[in-house]
Amino acid sequence: MKNLRISRTAQAAISAAVLAAVSVCLLLTASALSLSAQDRRIQTVVIDPGHGGIETGAKGRFGNLEKDITLAISLKLKTLIEKNMGFEVVLTRDRDVDVSLENRSAAANNRKAGLFISIHANGAVQKKAAGSETFFLSLNATDEETRRLAYLENTGNDLQTHIDPSTDDDLMMILWDMAQNAYVKESSRLAEFVQIELDSMLGLRNRGIKQAPFKILRGVACPAILVEAAFLSNPDEEQKLASDAYQNRVAEAIYRGLARFLKLTE
Amino acid sequence: MAAKKGKGVLSRPALVLGGLALVLLVLVIVFFTGGVGEKVKRFVDANVPKPPETSGAAAGAVKTVTLFFISDDDDSLHKETREIAVGPTAADEAERALAELVRGSEKGFLSPLPPQTKVRQVFVAKDGLATVDFSRDIADKFAYGSSSELAAVYAVVDTLVYNFEAIKKVIILVEGSERDTLGGHVDLSRAFSPDYSMVAK
Repeated sequence: MKNLRISRTAQAAISAAVLAAVSVCLLLTASALSLSAQDRRIQTVVIDPGHGGIETGAKGRFGNLEKDITLAISLKLKTLIEKNMGFEVVLTRDRDVDVSLENRSAAANNRKAGLFISIHANGAVQKKAAGSETFFLSLNATDEETRRLAYLENTGNDLQTHIDPSTDDDLMMILWDMAQNAYVKESSRLAEFVQIELDSMLGLRNRGIKQAPFKILRGVACPAILVEAAFLSNPDEEQKLASDAYQNRVAEAIYRGLARFLKLTE
Repeated sequence: MAAKKGKGVLSRPALVLGGLALVLLVLVIVFFTGGVGEKVKRFVDANVPKPPETSGAAAGAVKTVTLFFISDDDDSLHKETREIAVGPTAADEAERALAELVRGSEKGFLSPLPPQTKVRQVFVAKDGLATVDFSRDIADKFAYGSSSELAAVYAVVDTLVYNFEAIKKVIILVEGSERDTLGGHVDLSRAFSPDYSMVAK
């Protein structure tokens, strides 16, 4: 939509300003990406309890809200990681407040997150929909971006020197898109391990790992997944999700998946 | 005398400079408005009636479109055909197809969109990008989870791209504005390509 409103000539006119902006965000991206090259050791894990505040997320028939269940599971996962691993754990929210999706990924990038895990409870129109699944980002990229991506994959994380500033897209957005794109392979591996553990610990239908164009994953500059612990829209699973015991099992499963992922990458 | 002469000499380059600046200004203005005009024209062009289609509409012709609904039995999108009035433009037909999608299934499938949703407008640009504007009901009337949000988005995108050759990608607006997501999950800031992997075989 943006290019419909701004004429080509206007874009040419502001290209100088854009160049300046690009150099600034290149510096930011470079610092975020340098993690993968120079120091692969993860120091911070960011857990993102989905939704919050007036943004309730999915609703169960018994009145349980996605935002409450995601926070409960996230707090349990934080405790597990802090107790058993040497990482600092940062929550994108630790109580019932609104936090925009942009601020969540920005928080992860600012804290130099090494792993990003977004916790959700699913909702579907069909009441029978059931099971757990783990998502990582689908690219949904334009042809131009796909070309840059292929280039990026071949040149490692040398992102900052290969962006053409004369592109007529929203550069900031593309840069941050590419930030996650550079981690899609690792994200898929992390999703795989977490989903294996969810499957073995929860006894639910295994919906597997999937890709989707989720906003929260797009801007994160580290391996990032989104876990759907079960369906709030399914009455049986809603009762499970609301129970302390089940929430503990979800947290434990994610923790185990994470441990397997780390063992492999270290 | 000497001062007067000097002043005259000085004023000539100043005049020339001024003239040049004026010419530049005019060029810039023409360039700008020319650019905008081109964009507007391109945008309108795709919605301008095409002669053959108009004659079809006058005859009260109908065409069959395929809509994508949800089934209670699985997680797939299911096809259902519906007849809509033809023309005058692809955008008009797309609006009708989406209105039918909102109206719901006649075969007992479930609706991926809230029934209160109104299709405010569809634009189809020449490059195949369709921009669909829904009333805020599409976001406010459902408490979306990931699954229902993906179903809502791709029921719309698949319905449009599957039926209309003029449409290759879809951007979703809510109440005339860009919006992050419908319910906190699927990114609406980029154009969607269809995803037929969700469609039942």
